[in-house]
Amino acid sequence: MSFTHLNVSSAFSAHYGVTRPERLAIAAKSMGFDALAITDRDGLYGAVKHIGACVQLGISPIIGVNLRVVDFGRVTILAHGHDKGRGWAGLCRIISAAQTGRGKQKNIAIELKVLAELSVNCTVLVGADNIVSESVTANPQLALSRLREMQSQLANPGQLAIEVVAHLTEPGTALSIEHARAMLELARVNKLPSILSNAVRYLEPDDAVTADVLDSARHLEPLGLFAPQPNAQAWLKPQADMVQLALEITEDPKQSVELLSSTAKLADRCRLEPQSDCGWGKPKTPEQSALGITGNPFEVLWQKTHSAINWRYPNAPASKLAEIQHRLSKELIAVNQLGFATYFLTVADVAQMIRDMSIRIAARGSGAGSLINYLLGISGVDPISEGLLFERFLSTERSTLPDIDIDVESARRHDIYKAIFRRYGGDRVTLLSMQSTYRGRGAVRDSGLALGIEEDQIDEIAKNIWRFSARSFREAMANKPELEEFAKQSAEDRKLNLLVDITQRLDRLPRHISMHPCGVILGNSELLNLTPTEPSGVGLPMSQFDKDDMDPMGFLKLDVLGVRMQSAMAYTIQEIARVSDKVVDLDAVDRADPNVYQTIRSTNTLGMFQIESPGQRELTGKHQPTKFNDLTLQISLFRPGPMKGNMISPYLDGRHGFREPDYIHPDLKPILEESYGVVVFHEQLMRIMQVMTGCTLARADEHRRQLAKPDKAVKIGEYFKKSASARGYSKEVIDRVWSIIEGFGSFGFCKAHGAAFALPTYQSAWLKTHHPTEFIAGLLTHDPGMYPRRLLLAEARRLEVKLLPIDVNYSTDEYRVERVREIIGVRMALSDIAGISKPELERIKANQPFVNLSDFYLRARPSRRTLSRLALIGALDTLAKITPQTDSNRGDLMIRIRQLSAKAAPKLDLNQMAFDFDAETPLSKGGHKPTRQEQIEQELSITGMEISGHQIEQFQQMLDEMGVVRAGELISLRSNTEVLIAGVRVATQSPPMRSGKRVVFISLDDGSGCADATFFDEAQRRASQVLFQNRLLLISGKTRRTGVRGVSVLAENAWDLRQLWSQWQSKAS
Amino acid sequence: MRLEEITGVMLDFDGAPVGFNYQGKSFLVASRPVRWYSRRLWWEDAAAAPKGAGAALLEVEMWRLWAASGELRFFFELMHRRPEDRWEVNQLNSQ
Repeated sequence: MSFTHLNVSSAFSAHYGVTRPERLAIAAKSMGFDALAITDRDGLYGAVKHIGACVQLGISPIIGVNLRVVDFGRVTILAHGHDKGRGWAGLCRIISAAQTGRGKQKNIAIELKVLAELSVNCTVLVGADNIVSESVTANPQLALSRLREMQSQLANPGQLAIEVVAHLTEPGTALSIEHARAMLELARVNKLPSILSNAVRYLEPDDAVTADVLDSARHLEPLGLFAPQPNAQAWLKPQADMVQLALEITEDPKQSVELLSSTAKLADRCRLEPQSDCGWGKPKTPEQSALGITGNPFEVLWQKTHSAINWRYPNAPASKLAEIQHRLSKELIAVNQLGFATYFLTVADVAQMIRDMSIRIAARGSGAGSLINYLLGISGVDPISEGLLFERFLSTERSTLPDIDIDVESARRHDIYKAIFRRYGGDRVTLLSMQSTYRGRGAVRDSGLALGIEEDQIDEIAKNIWRFSARSFREAMANKPELEEFAKQSAEDRKLNLLVDITQRLDRLPRHISMHPCGVILGNSELLNLTPTEPSGVGLPMSQFDKDDMDPMGFLKLDVLGVRMQSAMAYTIQEIARVSDKVVDLDAVDRADPNVYQTIRSTNTLGMFQIESPGQRELTGKHQPTKFNDLTLQISLFRPGPMKGNMISPYLDGRHGFREPDYIHPDLKPILEESYGVVVFHEQLMRIMQVMTGCTLARADEHRRQLAKPDKAVKIGEYFKKSASARGYSKEVIDRVWSIIEGFGSFGFCKAHGAAFALPTYQSAWLKTHHPTEFIAGLLTHDPGMYPRRLLLAEARRLEVKLLPIDVNYSTDEYRVERVREIIGVRMALSDIAGISKPELERIKANQPFVNLSDFYLRARPSRRTLSRLALIGALDTLAKITPQTDSNRGDLMIRIRQLSAKAAPKLDLNQMAFDFDAETPLSKGGHKPTRQEQIEQELSITGMEISGHQIEQFQQMLDEMGVVRAGELISLRSNTEVLIAGVRVATQSPPMRSGKRVVFISLDDGSGCADATFFDEAQRRASQVLFQNRLLLISGKTRRTGVRGVSVLAENAWDLRQLWSQWQSKAS
Repeated sequence: MRLEEITGVMLDFDGAPVGFNYQGKSFLVASRPVRWYSRRLWWEDAAAAPKGAGAALLEVEMWRLWAASGELRFFFELMHRRPEDRWEVNQLNSQ
């Protein structure tokens, strides 16, 4: 008889379990168990991973949950198997019920009555952590009566059982042998089955230390301030130990055999058959009725796509039409063969619904490679003209549902989710969840909490954790200059040394569940029997499964990703229409507009989707794109893979004619011509395979996917060499091509994905070129990029876009475009004022315009703080009639403000308007007039932006004396010129590099533009104190020309600008 | 709890004590020893806690047993500090 662990918490019992399910399953298999349960707290977060691992290892998966019952305590509920999913469905429903009742405080629990109704195909185990187990030795009467109460509700045979657990704690205490014996006796008295478990929370005894730290994170208390676990016995013990435990508890061989055999019996009842119990691997889509389709879905798809040819390809010549027809037929045949017609119709239905809501939509990812998607309006990129392959997206060689990802306006994303729920019904839709796991900083923070280390000290350490996982903390301490100081401290401080160890232990453990940023699961009416749900932040239920669980469960996941750039572009179009009465159809604009490419080539790409980062800006300067395909190439090339694979310079050399492109063989020229002989795209690799081996594109894509696995790659190599040589290619050609293919796995990029990205890149560039004012307003309102708003203002000044100051009579919560006679400008919004509340904003908006200060104070009812902040940044100047010509100034205004707000504003009563608004007394005169510098400082501290000038101005005298070069002037210097640059840090990046060494890019803004500085090893060490810390920097280095319009600074050192300033000042005085 | 270090601890095949020296006398175990596990508050004194440090960082093996030496018969609690393989004893009461 074989033992089975029926109570196992995996790492997905957040802040409780220690070991990931896959590891538990592997260990169980190697210890000779033929089944294993996982029973995580409050959910099935790890269930799919567990089932997957068990299926792969050939042991039986068992799934349960550990859940709190109201007024009772924790129980473990196991689903019965081999019952066509009734047990699994019951378990899902039980969890969803416990989760939805939880209200605001995370009190997840189920009413006994509800549990009784839903658990008829489950077994409820009464083990540790409940009233029965807590009172069984101290107050047996209470234990007995509470158990009977439970027994009367869970009355089906086998619905209730006692779980006996002994962790060999101090005799007589909870989880001791005596305690286990008392539980066993309780079962016997009540004629209930009893089973043995070890209430496992970790794989090995060593993991108990990690469990201590997780306990601390759960209690939110340092270790030592709560009762810790009693010892390290809660591990996945082998069979022999469990048999020994049974003997120790029962003290009787016969009884111990009984206990073990009833455990085995329950285990058998709970073995799941993944296909029939959980719908494992079977794709599920909404029923036709839910999509409003009658008849054969494939015929509907055929109809819809064919009738859209005219819309997408108006006036196409016959030859083109033939090509379209041919391609479409090929795709439709594949879709029909896979039975995915309903899937495409579902996505098309959602896309149409989004467009009907007047929301911008774009496809992303390999889906753009499908003509069906283009014709259905899911994607906006023509796959034929861009050379995209359907087989990269969907092939008959795979049977999993393909991903179709769509980008929408981020500001409308939740509206779309709600609409999807309304359209398909709450029983067919849930949101997707994701598990956030411990990474460097989070792990350090929680470890610091556990050890009771001061928060300030932890903050300081966390700040310098940059781009490495918690697991390699100690390694990083040895070779990262910014951690040198900490390494020294920890060598002498015991607690800091412990901190490093336990931080490493936490690495990658699940921390908490949250809503996936874009995933929606669409299923049939059985969905809620297959996945448990819980409330999400937006009020809609979300599945407890994550994206990796979708394929195994056969769930259709739709990625509806909110993209701020889409919102910014929608806003821009709306402002163009409002102010200039012009309708822009962005999806229809000419994609070969030379003016747009000229703007891009100037490298002033700030605000352009995907190409605004310092690295992309530098590449833009070198690359000088002239057509749409160039954008696709540029986006695809600026990735870790191609950079590591040293693909960028051969491409650029070929493009600029410094090198003759090498196509290896004339047959490959048509494939590689667009990228000058460099293999950039998955699609190119597939076509090379096809040409040289004669395989189909679908097969070629299968080969490509398998290249990542070393053992498979060898076989593909043999196949490739054999087939290519049979087709007459020379050994030299074959070897050269294979060496490219072999190394390609991590380098290549899906061209469809690049092209799908390039579309909003071009569209944003088009708007920036033709409507800069409205576009700046859109960027400011929806803040889509990687840079702070203050940098957008600098860009606006460079573009000579008029910026209108914040004014309570004109400003709103958006950056509106205003027309003053012939000129348009962007009115700064109120929403970035620190501390302004939503109701204040709304009152100001609703009551505009105001006559004077008292009127504003009475009707907008701002808080004292908001009122004085508004005054300080000049938002009340118009109301107070302060102009450069008047004698009164902002100092005088501040005096009036203090008088006004000495009393709280009375609640407005329109019937008793006693004020005579026109009779406001004029302001006093002679107060302190703020200097320009003071004004800028106020704007910065209150809105985070300098509106009237640039922050760097205050240091100008020192900078001039030092001969600091302005960012805008760098381009006119010769390469290798020694320079000093200064400015406000706007971006810090540390992308992976070909050599594996770390490079840090810092971009500074000084009002004339952006200067990018590159720090290699030596410079990183010299500047380690300021590298990731200070905002205002001075950097020394040499200029480096990187192309026609490209220049950057090869940094030598960096200093804190404020510190230099105070030294300079003290020297000057 | 008053703990005293003891020496000369003899164990059986299962690691259970069968005899030890206590206050200058040699004691033999006179009951079935009961083993249980207590714990240490490792964060108070451990210098390191790397993965693989082992359960001994956290766990302490304990034994409750009667032992006799001549006419003397005491109820003891033995503590086994595993990393150092040191034994300490606490005499709970006598018969």
